Amino acid sequence: MANFLASPFMHNVLAGLAQGVLYSLLALSLVIIWQSTHVLNFAQGAMAMFATYIGMTEIDRGVGYWWCVIISVLVGMLFGGLAERVLIRPLYGKPEINPIVVMVGFLGVIEALAAAIWTSTTRNITPPFSQIYFHAGGQVILLSPFVIFQIVLAIVIMLSIAALFRFTKLGLQLRASALAPEVARLLGVRVSRMLTIGWMLSAGVGAVAAVIIASGTFGLFPTNMDGIFVAGFIAAAVGGLESPIGAITGGLLIGLSEQFILSYWSATLAPLGGIIILVVALMIRPQGIFTKNVERRV
Amino acid sequence: MVSASALALGMASTGVLISNAGAAPSTPGVTATSITIGASVPISGLAAAYGSVSASANAVFKYIDSKGGVNGRKIIYIRKDDCYDLAAYGLGCTAGASTTTLSVNQELVAQDHVFATVGSLGTAAEESVMNYLRSNGVPQLFVASGSVAWDQPNKYPDLFGFEPSYVVEGKIMARYIKTNYAGQSVGFIGQNDDVGSTGLLGLTDGGIKIPSADNLSYNAADAVTGTTSDITADVSQLQTDKVQVVVLFSVPPFTAGILETAHALGYSPKWIITSIGSDPTSVNTVLEDGATSLDEFPATNSNANPWVPWLRKVLEADPTDFPGFGANTVISGNEMYGAGYAVAFAETLKAEGRNVTRAGFVKTLESTTLSTPAIAPLRYTGGNHQGLNALAVAGVLPNGTSAPLYAVPTKTIFSSTNANNAPLKVVTKPIVQQIPSWLK
Amino acid sequence: MKALHLLRTQETTSARAIGVVLLTAFTLVVTFFLPAVADSQLAGGAAITIVILGLSWLIGWSGQISLGNSGFMAVGAYTAGIWAHHHNTTPLVVTFIFAMLIGALSGLVIAIPSTRLRGPYLAGMTLAFSAAISPLAQNFTSVTGGEGGLFFNELTTPKWFLNFFSGPNATINANAQWTADLSVVVAGVMFLVMANLFHSRTGRAMRLVRDNDVAAELMGINLPLTRTLAFVIAAAFAGLGGALYTIINATVTPSTFPLTLSITLLTLMVLGGIGTLSGAVIGGIIYSFSGNLVDHINALTGVNPASNLGANMQGIIFGALLILTMMFAPRGIAGLWGPIKRLKKPSKRLATAEVVQ
Repeated sequence: MANFLASPFMHNVLAGLAQGVLYSLLALSLVIIWQSTHVLNFAQGAMAMFATYIGMTEIDRGVGYWWCVIISVLVGMLFGGLAERVLIRPLYGKPEINPIVVMVGFLGVIEALAAAIWTSTTRNITPPFSQIYFHAGGQVILLSPFVIFQIVLAIVIMLSIAALFRFTKLGLQLRASALAPEVARLLGVRVSRMLTIGWMLSAGVGAVAAVIIASGTFGLFPTNMDGIFVAGFIAAAVGGLESPIGAITGGLLIGLSEQFILSYWSATLAPLGGIIILVVALMIRPQGIFTKNVERRV
Repeated sequence: MVSASALALGMASTGVLISNAGAAPSTPGVTATSITIGASVPISGLAAAYGSVSASANAVFKYIDSKGGVNGRKIIYIRKDDCYDLAAYGLGCTAGASTTTLSVNQELVAQDHVFATVGSLGTAAEESVMNYLRSNGVPQLFVASGSVAWDQPNKYPDLFGFEPSYVVEGKIMARYIKTNYAGQSVGFIGQNDDVGSTGLLGLTDGGIKIPSADNLSYNAADAVTGTTSDITADVSQLQTDKVQVVVLFSVPPFTAGILETAHALGYSPKWIITSIGSDPTSVNTVLEDGATSLDEFPATNSNANPWVPWLRKVLEADPTDFPGFGANTVISGNEMYGAGYAVAFAETLKAEGRNVTRAGFVKTLESTTLSTPAIAPLRYTGGNHQGLNALAVAGVLPNGTSAPLYAVPTKTIFSSTNANNAPLKVVTKPIVQQIPSWLK
Repeated sequence: MKALHLLRTQETTSARAIGVVLLTAFTLVVTFFLPAVADSQLAGGAAITIVILGLSWLIGWSGQISLGNSGFMAVGAYTAGIWAHHHNTTPLVVTFIFAMLIGALSGLVIAIPSTRLRGPYLAGMTLAFSAAISPLAQNFTSVTGGEGGLFFNELTTPKWFLNFFSGPNATINANAQWTADLSVVVAGVMFLVMANLFHSRTGRAMRLVRDNDVAAELMGINLPLTRTLAFVIAAAFAGLGGALYTIINATVTPSTFPLTLSITLLTLMVLGGIGTLSGAVIGGIIYSFSGNLVDHINALTGVNPASNLGANMQGIIFGALLILTMMFAPRGIAGLWGPIKRLKKPSKRLATAEVVQ
């Protein structure tokens, strides 16, 4: 058993999954926003990064790691809500390129602001989990306590979001506001509040991903979420922006493919993994693999 | 309506007027009392560790100026931050996102009118401006990089390197491996540009065979996205293949990353690291058994070489560049390097005499043996613009405490040239060069 | 100015041509009065203008959002670079045409999977293309020079031009001037081409497809062909812009055209004015002198340029400008003044459940 776990194949599977769950988290956060407001939030990763700076740098002042995580997620949610109210709300009804451009601008501002306030030098946050890989029978398994934390936390968050949407009243209201806002309004759902909550949830999910990234070998620096965002976006598009399951699956697929390309082909071509999957997926089903067909209104 | 030709004539004469308006002296950068030189160097950003190279050169120039300069001219050194040509990616860069090595050199040439660039740093960074500087007639001197690109006297007559090339380093490493680790398996991790490929060339030329599965690289641009997956994959591959000796041609942030990843994986091969990637004061990491590296400068923890106490005096006299530098501060390899090319520049200037021109300077450089802190003399010729060609094998001590590490040269020094199959000459002990009296 | 008036009335192709020629001549005169460094910056801006013209065509006039233009620039740049690396005696015109053709080809390749896509999926596909360029360039080292990239002979300033300059800085000034003038002329030519395209049948068909594709189809317009043509033209322009940019700088590496450049192009196009010709020029000028502008702002507000705040001023200012422009002046700077032909904007709505099959 130890031999199997330490095999190069398993190395790649574990490394790919560890990376993939982060893509899945980000893809999920993008899908939540898309489902509720049909906006592509280009600043998703950057917002999460900023929240992480605010939360995780408290470690320097002696605040415990877990408190920092909670602060980061709460600050992230606050940002999400504010962004929806201040930036996106005024743009409803305008051409769809407008909010995309606004969020792109927001992305630029946030990253520059983070560098201005905290410098763009990488900061390493030490999590309460060791990053030393396990050994079994004299061989290395590409799992460390930190990697396990990463995977477990991501799964917990994804399951919680799924449970929220499926089993709670809030979840029902959120889904109703997204699918049929006029009907929901008639039934007494405060649709505009749901939109804000949708953004807050999405930002919270993104913040969790950012906390994990900051605590890992990447470290914390203003552009650390850029690569994850691109992969998460591609994952969401592969899975279909309407489907949370699709987003999660897409993320894992991309993580795995990147890792296998890196291992068996070339490190420089690894980013192509996601791109190849996207091209193939969109050629087969231009609306995303998991999207249900919907009639087109003429 | 003005006729087209009249318009052209008008524009042309305006052009003439404008270029005459500055009333600049006949050789750019040279006045009766000063000579202005510049450099594009990484003061902030990913490669900020190399900032102390040019800072040390600056301190040397200030010291020389404090004694009256060279032949009555003060040397003005303009260092501009190009963030290793990665400014667009942040990473701690404070030069502004649209800064590139080219834009910085354009400012030095077209605004500051420098006589030459001296000690600009970075292989890819400086390659990107070679043509620009050549077409504008600006000498590119003592480029701080071990690439062989600086040794093309036919195509680039005003371009000169300074340090021994990575090819020579590779050859010396090959000899060391054959002598000390005969029969052991060898792996390689190099930066995916000239740094890695040239080093590999030297190793192969020296007779070391590396199986293709263990011949790996990392992408310097990964620092941008923070991806470390290729470093993890590389090190883990070498570990799986049970490689016993690993050669690194990497810059300090990545050397540190590789060593830390190996530590996390529980892997400790014998490490052999290029001179540019192992400066102990930059590689601040966990090294259980130490590592081997190469150095073209003497150990700074001993005063056996007179340049060492001399440099200490110079650095202490420059609190702007070296605040708080005291009697016990460790002098790093970077600082010796910067002093090396600064001294080389000053000596050539002195040898050229009072009448300074670009062509004359280059001629003088190609015909003078220069005395520097390096362990062997520095000499260029019309056919060889590489620079120093001798390195000592040095040991990097394990970091058991938080004290900085020293590079301790052993008594083994080799020299060679870039040519294929050029032999390795053994030099039995460092050739200490005397400090010229006017510099003391 | 008479030239602007000619452009605005745009009665005939020749009136347009005269207008562009006059504007180009005016800009050339300006280059003579600029210092060498500014000339170099202007040259880069001219290349960017060409790219933005194509981007405006694609996003503004055919309604297809694309983040792939940095990729097309890279294709053109590497084409020019690889060619110049091996055959540096080819006349510049030939190199540029070659870069345009290969750029157009890459536009065709991207268009095939992309024209069926809408909105975010299209953005994702084009984003993926841009993101793929760097890994591809890094990997195929023997062709692209890998990480280190390619270096080749710069533009050689012709002797007759050099003769106009004297003094110790003659070469530097002449080189910078020549680079700027060449770029301005090329940009002028492409400006005229795009101006004609805007007013052609193709342009009108493009706008109809954007606004009401059902009606367009009913009128017999071939939708996929029109959309593909949009990509091909945009890619050709971007390829040329990329080639010009790289010839000016005499170098191309995998990091010369990062994904963030696609975003910068979008920003500049929006600030200038989506879908307008003058907007593209404004975008190019902003690109040229943004560094200087930021330096001035730093000086005015007393911020130290080497501090963290100073170094990031550019990002903060331009990001904020983009947000404000989009929210309060979505037509950009070009839309702020006078009787320039207004575009009819597409009217897709947000926060509804419209999904395209």
